[in-house]
Amino acid sequence: MANNGGNRWLIGIAVILVIALVGAICVGAGALIVLTQQGPTAQQTSPGVQGTSPTRAPAAPSTSGGNVLRLPGGSGGGGDPPTLDPALAGDAESAVYVAEIFSGLVALDPNLKVVPDIAKSWDVSPDRTVYTFHLREDVKFQDGRPLTAQDFKYSIERAANPATASPTADTYLGDIVGVKDKLNRKAAEVSGVKVIDNYTLQITIDQPKAYFLAKLTFPASYVVDKNNVERGGQTWTDHPNGTGPYMLKEYVRGQRIVLVKNPNYYGDPKPQVPEIDFILGGGSFMTMYENGDLDSTAVSINDIDRVSDPNSPLNKELYIGPELSTQFVVFNVHKPPFDDPKVRQAFALAIDRQKVVDVVFHKMPLVANTILPPGMPGYVDPGTPPAYDPAQAKQLIAQSKYANNMPDITWTTVGAGGAAAQDIQAMTAMIKDNLGINVSIQQTDWATFIGQLNDPTTNPYQIFDIGWIADYADPQNFLDILFRSNSAQNWAGYSNPQVDALLDQAGLEKDTATRFKLYHQAEQMILADYPVVPLTYSRQYWLTKPYVKGMIYPPLIIERLRYVSLSK
Amino acid sequence: MAAFVIRRLLWLPVLLFFVSVITFALGLYGPGDPVQVMLGLHANPETIARLRHEYGFDQPFYVQYLNYVSNALHGNFGYSLVKYRDQPVGKLIADRLPVTIQLNLLAILLGVGIGVPLGLIAGLKRDTLIDLAIRAIVIAGISFPIIFLNPVLTFIFSRRHEIAITTAHLNIAIGPLLPMVGGQWDGMFSLKIILPAFIEATGVIAIMTRQMRAGMIEELSMDYVRTARAKGLRERAVVVRHAMRNALIPIVTILGLMLGGLVAGSFLVESWFGVPGVGALAYDALFSRDYYIIMAMVLLIAVAYVIANLVVDVAYGFLDPRIRQSG
Repeated sequence: MANNGGNRWLIGIAVILVIALVGAICVGAGALIVLTQQGPTAQQTSPGVQGTSPTRAPAAPSTSGGNVLRLPGGSGGGGDPPTLDPALAGDAESAVYVAEIFSGLVALDPNLKVVPDIAKSWDVSPDRTVYTFHLREDVKFQDGRPLTAQDFKYSIERAANPATASPTADTYLGDIVGVKDKLNRKAAEVSGVKVIDNYTLQITIDQPKAYFLAKLTFPASYVVDKNNVERGGQTWTDHPNGTGPYMLKEYVRGQRIVLVKNPNYYGDPKPQVPEIDFILGGGSFMTMYENGDLDSTAVSINDIDRVSDPNSPLNKELYIGPELSTQFVVFNVHKPPFDDPKVRQAFALAIDRQKVVDVVFHKMPLVANTILPPGMPGYVDPGTPPAYDPAQAKQLIAQSKYANNMPDITWTTVGAGGAAAQDIQAMTAMIKDNLGINVSIQQTDWATFIGQLNDPTTNPYQIFDIGWIADYADPQNFLDILFRSNSAQNWAGYSNPQVDALLDQAGLEKDTATRFKLYHQAEQMILADYPVVPLTYSRQYWLTKPYVKGMIYPPLIIERLRYVSLSK
Repeated sequence: MAAFVIRRLLWLPVLLFFVSVITFALGLYGPGDPVQVMLGLHANPETIARLRHEYGFDQPFYVQYLNYVSNALHGNFGYSLVKYRDQPVGKLIADRLPVTIQLNLLAILLGVGIGVPLGLIAGLKRDTLIDLAIRAIVIAGISFPIIFLNPVLTFIFSRRHEIAITTAHLNIAIGPLLPMVGGQWDGMFSLKIILPAFIEATGVIAIMTRQMRAGMIEELSMDYVRTARAKGLRERAVVVRHAMRNALIPIVTILGLMLGGLVAGSFLVESWFGVPGVGALAYDALFSRDYYIIMAMVLLIAVAYVIANLVVDVAYGFLDPRIRQSG
């Protein structure tokens, strides 16, 4: 041995290896111990976990008793909410918590009707631009401080402050006189929001808008506590002081959000379940649900057949409900060959939507034949399934101006990996079979995709698929936003002056029935031009333990947890 | 040796400069941007312009870069833009880094603790049934992707299995043997870490076994081994003192580089098991263009690899005098 130093290192490495091996064996032994030692110890270490028992105890008590409701994070997928700040929350994952911790002037009830919340009533001026809200006098923040109209004034001013960088203020508060000026640094104050007295707030909007109150149900106008915001600095939402039925007790990022009852809550019914735990680690909620570690979970397509089987015990715990969203195939009407309506119609007729739903999606969503989804106010059931007619589709192609010179077509879809989503593959195969047209598929990531879509004038995609989920329950939210000429979300680049005129007329119409009739006319006109093919209406699939009572699964994010109780 | 270490460390700022400029430029000039992700489908051109202005994204590249560097040098690595709006990036990473390090450390320990002895045995028993069996295990370890192992092992170990024996009126419930992390990370000495660590270790086990086996076979065919045997050394001494020691040198290299990877989390494993580590954070940040989280993660990983490389080079000197660096 020439080198003693090297020898020492060798021994050191050997020691490390031995330690590693011993560690691995210990860890492995640990697993075995649990296997043989199940029962009380296992139950104590992990709530809700049952050990081996020769006869299954009836309604085995979970350690959480009737006090804790355990839900998957956000809207069912887990993961952290991007924010808990009402002025910043523009996504469903954040809204789930914001809607429970905070509250606003008006709210949506479980039937999606606009109902009083902190405002007990309101008067609207004859020209329908001035709303005078009369506030409840018994509303307190979660720390006990009484709420006044000043707090609403502060909250709206804050949301419209350019330094807040709210992504939602333009859309949801932009109708209020002065909000856009403040956002663009042209005014220091929002002139359209006035405090009349401690319990009266007056809001002026730029022109009559039937859907204005619906927009106020969105978090952007929820009330926040000035002291809380200003003392908390940039991370004030780590300890939010709201007015909603539940308070944030604990937020460990990547792990859990714990909400507890707000003892000062003014509304009725009061919250019943003392504590609600949202689990943020994702991916395996189904396993946790089946192990009894979760009280409710969304069902993915991987488990849908198993859960839908009427013989499965899980089937009795299954809830299926609407989601107020429609998935579309969109044609860019500025890009050949889709600038020819005949080609668009031919593609629509060549896709067997029912088959896509049945085979690819295992019937989870419903096949779509309208733009507005069922459950949406103004939805009219067309009564007929979507047309599928390969012969007519072939004829249309022959009549189109691209009959003999069909350009290359690329279908852009969000995704990654070796193969595109199966529904896209199925639809391009149907087009190939029925029309003899090759459509190649290009996958892209979400950030790139919406970056391109957000500017309809330069959108390079020819054909693509995308979904739209309602923000508020009004047909305007689908038809006006997606199909009005020059709307930022008019992804097809569609423009029809007659449709625009109908949408204008509907926006100003006072009578609800007439409004919906006008929207229906516009919808029919849009569908006849084929800027999009409605593909599916998404549905929610949830499993919920039978001891959870009163759970509601609203298609929009609304405050809902105070209706839930546990009977274990 | 000291001079060597200092010389290497002096290169660190240069490396960080290039890494940061490239990452920053890719973020700024690549497709997609955090404001658009934040706005989602509700973007309109005015809102995009307004928010880009508020965040300073409308300024020239060098201004944004210098601002970032100046803040970073003062310990402020910026704020999350999309996934954790307004939360300081430094804190987001610091909260999650220990979790990832614990998981990766255990994965490496498992990998070395299982892989090296397996490789050693396979190398010594070359072309026997034992060798074949070990090689089969290695092939399996390399071939089964994590996305396959995750659900399969979870199904076996982390699920409650109920067996109904109707004739005997027995309902037997077994498991779950290894609970999921599910919202509560209990650290390195919890049963919850075993499955994710083992799955992360499968690749390490395979690499270590292959390397060790090849190394042993090569060393045992060397002249010095024949000489050692010829002078009558016991076989154990030949293997342990001579062949194994030399076969371990490449293992140390691989191990050193893996230590650099300690701070980089595995998204697939972390997200499946709900492990609150930096892997899931970095993945989310990448896909939402959360620039400052991406920057901080890239810089952190770069520093970790530089240090790991340095440790390997120094360790080499001790293990093999022929490659010792001259001071």
